Amino acid sequence: MSAPAEASRPPRPVRGGSVTRRRWWVPILFVAPNMIVFGLFTIWPAINGFNISLFDSSNGRTFTPVGSQNYQEILSDPEFRSVVLHTLIFVVGFVIGCVLFGTVLALLLNAQRRGRGLLRAAYFLPVVISPVVVGLIWSWALTRQNGLVNAVLSSWGLGKPGWLSEPGLAMISVVGVGLWTHVGFYAMILLAGLQSIPANLNEAATIDGASAWQQIRRITLPLLRPTMLVVLVLATISGFQAFDYIYTLTGGGPVGATTLIVQYIYEKAFQSPIQYGLAAAGGVLFFVVVFAVTLINYFLGRRKGAV
Amino acid sequence: MRSPLRHRLRPILGLAAGALVLAACSPGEVVSGSQSAAAPASSVAPSSVDPKSFAGQTLTYVYFTDGPDEKATRTAIAAFESDTGAKVNLQIVPFADLEKSLQARLSGGDSPDVARVADWHPYDDQLVALDPYVGSAFAGEFIEGSAAASKNAAGAMVAVPSDLTMNGPLVNTDAFTKAGVALPTADKPWTWETMVADAKKVQAANKMESAIAIDKSGHRLSTVLSQFGTRMIGPDGKQALDTAKTEKALGLLSGLMQDGTVQKDFWLESGSRYKGANDMFLAGAVPVYISGNWQVAQFNSSAKFGWAAVPNPCEETCGGFPGGKYMVAFQGGKNPALAAHFLQFMNSKEQQAQIDPVAGWLPTRRDLVESGVTYPERGDDMNAFLADVAKTPTEDFATVSSPAFSASATSLVEQMSALAAGEVDVPTAVAALQKEITGNVESAGK
Repeated sequence: MSAPAEASRPPRPVRGGSVTRRRWWVPILFVAPNMIVFGLFTIWPAINGFNISLFDSSNGRTFTPVGSQNYQEILSDPEFRSVVLHTLIFVVGFVIGCVLFGTVLALLLNAQRRGRGLLRAAYFLPVVISPVVVGLIWSWALTRQNGLVNAVLSSWGLGKPGWLSEPGLAMISVVGVGLWTHVGFYAMILLAGLQSIPANLNEAATIDGASAWQQIRRITLPLLRPTMLVVLVLATISGFQAFDYIYTLTGGGPVGATTLIVQYIYEKAFQSPIQYGLAAAGGVLFFVVVFAVTLINYFLGRRKGAV
Repeated sequence: MRSPLRHRLRPILGLAAGALVLAACSPGEVVSGSQSAAAPASSVAPSSVDPKSFAGQTLTYVYFTDGPDEKATRTAIAAFESDTGAKVNLQIVPFADLEKSLQARLSGGDSPDVARVADWHPYDDQLVALDPYVGSAFAGEFIEGSAAASKNAAGAMVAVPSDLTMNGPLVNTDAFTKAGVALPTADKPWTWETMVADAKKVQAANKMESAIAIDKSGHRLSTVLSQFGTRMIGPDGKQALDTAKTEKALGLLSGLMQDGTVQKDFWLESGSRYKGANDMFLAGAVPVYISGNWQVAQFNSSAKFGWAAVPNPCEETCGGFPGGKYMVAFQGGKNPALAAHFLQFMNSKEQQAQIDPVAGWLPTRRDLVESGVTYPERGDDMNAFLADVAKTPTEDFATVSSPAFSASATSLVEQMSALAAGEVDVPTAVAALQKEITGNVESAGK
């Protein structure tokens, strides 16, 4: 029964005429350091996090087993439902913006000949700035009373909108700042995807009389689809994890309008009264949601032949 | 060929290993019931201590600093070290990280001996009951409100009130002079109506951004509630908001935010975070700023204009709203007797009299409150705050010392923010606040 399987196996590496079966551990040796670190700082905390979600810790030190009570409590909390809704709104706006503006930016950078390097650096620069600094810079720029943006707008007679103090505008502001920070990164990925498309396809289309828009629609975008899927998945995960610059920008306000799931979990865990169990339950639910959405993205992409 | 039994055993063994892993990562100390409270303190005499018996021992003191207090604290520590021969390891942490840091150390079995805290309730079951060391009469050395706030549910003194704070208005005197508006005095204090009217006059005369600024803080809002004759938590520890009075107080503030007298953007732009309006006051953007005595030392060095602390406005009652810091000793510390002696020493009349003027703290000791403290700088301003301590209703001390106060103060800020954003009307906000305070009281009592 095992003969066909044996026949299909690739020949084993041979040295000095003997099969080196004893060296099976060599690749494991290479992977081991990373796996140990990953296990210690990702897998183990994740397992421990799930475990903590089954305990009540109202004073942060003593843990009382409560079964699924934290999950019931968090799912029946209107504030949690509200932050889930805000998170979904943010993620949809952020992901659409990343894919749309990232693609447009990549197309422009791809077409640009002179000064392309400078432009790439300029658009990529926000990616390397600390998110906390990004939040602080934009909170100064967007504050209603003395902010830079409103100083410009009011000099044009456009009034002083409450970018950070009106709930609808605040969500637009955090999505906008998120895009300002991240679009450069996704544009670089998409630019790499664009440059892998064979130039002769567009040359042939040009000879056949296809317009620039037709070339983008019929050649560039279909061939860019796998890269766009990567961007979609990465932007979705990044959108769900958004916290640092939003916390420094709006603090989740006004009136909770920009409080996302990660901030909710942070506040349950680290602000008085400390509730590790509830925070851990929120973290587990958050993991399930992000994992499910990422899988959906991936399989939808596969069905459409993007990967 | 593989054994079918071995094949089936694999998932079973895997599940068993998973269960072991979960059991192994059980989070810290697991309990099935609540911790027992410390035994009620009866009248006990202080234990006799020879300070020199502590020679050679070390004590760790976790501390947060507001600025000038650090130097005065180090001076007091040096005196303690000289007196006892013990060594104090002062560990300064940012205030924002204090509770996280202490909780992590306590759960990790690395308890400090002593800490300075703004609220001792989160560590209630870990604190040394001080009466057997310092004597039950020690609590009586402090003013009534602070002493009561230092005792746990069983009546044991578990914290020493090391400094007192008082909320109140600070005014830009240059702007008032330019506008020709007189300042209030202790004999003729403002009402809220006159304060708003005067502040608006000064704002207009000086073309300032707004008339009144108030820190985004449930503690500061409690000042307004107190002046309107109500408070979130009563002396019995239960929800105590008077609906009509709360509606009047929050309605007033909401109206001031809607008409621009108080900047509503200041409240809304910072989300769930605390925000002080000291920058706004220092920038000369507002003539009246409701904050507290801890601003005196900062303004003394930073303000480029004339300023002063003035009496709180009076409505149904006068006075402000108290707060304070405590020093606590932990059961997990190496030497509770040394820790208790340190707390007693640092809060003796001699040491508080040395620390308070430098640090800009209000005294908590009866003798110092009665004799007064001579502040080398801005003494009139500090005494303006101290004078309001006497006018502040005693019930407010019980409110601020309730274990449910911190969470309720957060609820108060949230409801005020909803009012500022125009998302709810005043009766709805007050009803929601009452419900949240009731929940906070229940949670704190568990």
